[in-house]
Amino acid sequence: MGINELVTMMVQTTFMNRDVAPMMFSRLFALLICALVMTGCATAPAPGDRDAVADFEEINDPFEPTNRGVFTVNRALDRLALKPAATVYRKGLPEFVQDRIGDILANLRSPVIFLNDVLQGEGVRAAHTLMRFVINSTLGLGGFMDMATAMDIEGHDEDFGQTLAVWGVPEGPFMMLPVFGPSNPRDTVGLVVDFLTDPLSIWAVNTDREYASFARAGVQAVDARSDTLDLLDDVEKSSLDFYAAIRSLYRQRRADAISNGEGSANFPAPGLSQSPLGPVLDDNEELSRSAFR
Amino acid sequence: MILNLSSYRSLTGYFLGAFLAFATLPALAGVEEGSEKFVRSLADKAVHSLTTADTPRLERIKRFRELFRESFAVTSVGKFVLGRNWRRASDDEKKEYLTLFEDLMVVTYVDRFQRYAGEALKVTKSRAENDNIATVFSEIQRPGGIKPIRVDWRIGTNGTIYKILDVIVEGTSMSNTLRSDFGSIVRRQGGKVAGLITALREKTEALKAEAQ
Repeated sequence: MGINELVTMMVQTTFMNRDVAPMMFSRLFALLICALVMTGCATAPAPGDRDAVADFEEINDPFEPTNRGVFTVNRALDRLALKPAATVYRKGLPEFVQDRIGDILANLRSPVIFLNDVLQGEGVRAAHTLMRFVINSTLGLGGFMDMATAMDIEGHDEDFGQTLAVWGVPEGPFMMLPVFGPSNPRDTVGLVVDFLTDPLSIWAVNTDREYASFARAGVQAVDARSDTLDLLDDVEKSSLDFYAAIRSLYRQRRADAISNGEGSANFPAPGLSQSPLGPVLDDNEELSRSAFR
Repeated sequence: MILNLSSYRSLTGYFLGAFLAFATLPALAGVEEGSEKFVRSLADKAVHSLTTADTPRLERIKRFRELFRESFAVTSVGKFVLGRNWRRASDDEKKEYLTLFEDLMVVTYVDRFQRYAGEALKVTKSRAENDNIATVFSEIQRPGGIKPIRVDWRIGTNGTIYKILDVIVEGTSMSNTLRSDFGSIVRRQGGKVAGLITALREKTEALKAEAQ
């Protein structure tokens, strides 16, 4: 089965029946990936060990050994190519040029964002995206200047992975994709659909100008990496298990994006691990405080 | 008909008003207000102790440690981060773990606080989660028209003291990320907290050596 048929099939599965599709979808994927990476599946704990089983399900990373291998390769690629390029981009280019590149990339992304605003039934956000695209493509000289933000029509991001989430498709197990980085079956489908629905890539494919897609993807990757230079250095420096920290951060960032930034306060909190509300300050807290005084 | 409808409306309005008054008044006077005040004063203190020019890094770390101890719920967060492994640890392990945890937090957070201590922190709203916890939503303003950074502070109180239980930056929770990170180490060390303590010790020693 080629990747194209596979994607078509998965998308059809998703659209077919909203109740059954999510389950079929994740099963199909689990099967497929297991077939692909037979050697790299983590051993599930014995069913009797309840704590270990709870852990295994919470982490939801059955392909962890393979994922860690891919992560090591990705980090090497990052060190060799992406990070140096992003550093030169951030430190070597004038800010004005970086801003123009960022604005052009954002404008090129607008059609995909608009499509997903609509698919998620977000009327106001869709209208904003459309207005931004029209304003920035005309007044903004073909996306060169973000005039819409200056008019207080601020941009946001959307992608098909988020749309699937809004439709109720579960994320599935964690996956570390080669080159593309942290993901999951749902977001991987999202990535493919975003590419297939993007006007620039459709144009590039139809006119045998694939290089345009590659060039844009390259610039996009460097631009995005340059935004996370400090952040990722920080995480790498302060974490004990960089892979586990990245896995957690990726999921949290996606959950935040899916809720359009509205769900961030619903975390389980220190003090009460099971409840989303109500950590109680530990009794020892006051003691430890007075001990320092 | 029209009269009936309007009187119905005003009745609804009356009940709604009464309900809102009862629902919001106690909360407003309580944990939210105190937590907002706490976050604001924390930001002021951070600016005061961290942005003074050419303070040597070791001195900055020392000052930050004081600020950290009085405003961060080290024990509560440390316990949460360890999750159910807390129960498995011996008393000595708990003690050493909490000390190392504080070290790691101080050395890694001093630079993050430093980076933003000069920018204005704007409290946008707050929400009481229960009698002892509130979430304070804030934005750190960035220069040059860059989008502000969303930072939510989860604050716990026992009525007299206020302490940070979690910092949620752009939707990513510090406590939950640490919990995944540390949990993974314990698991890979065969469920032994001692393995985590060794890893923590190595990490903090490396970071301290770098700070010299």
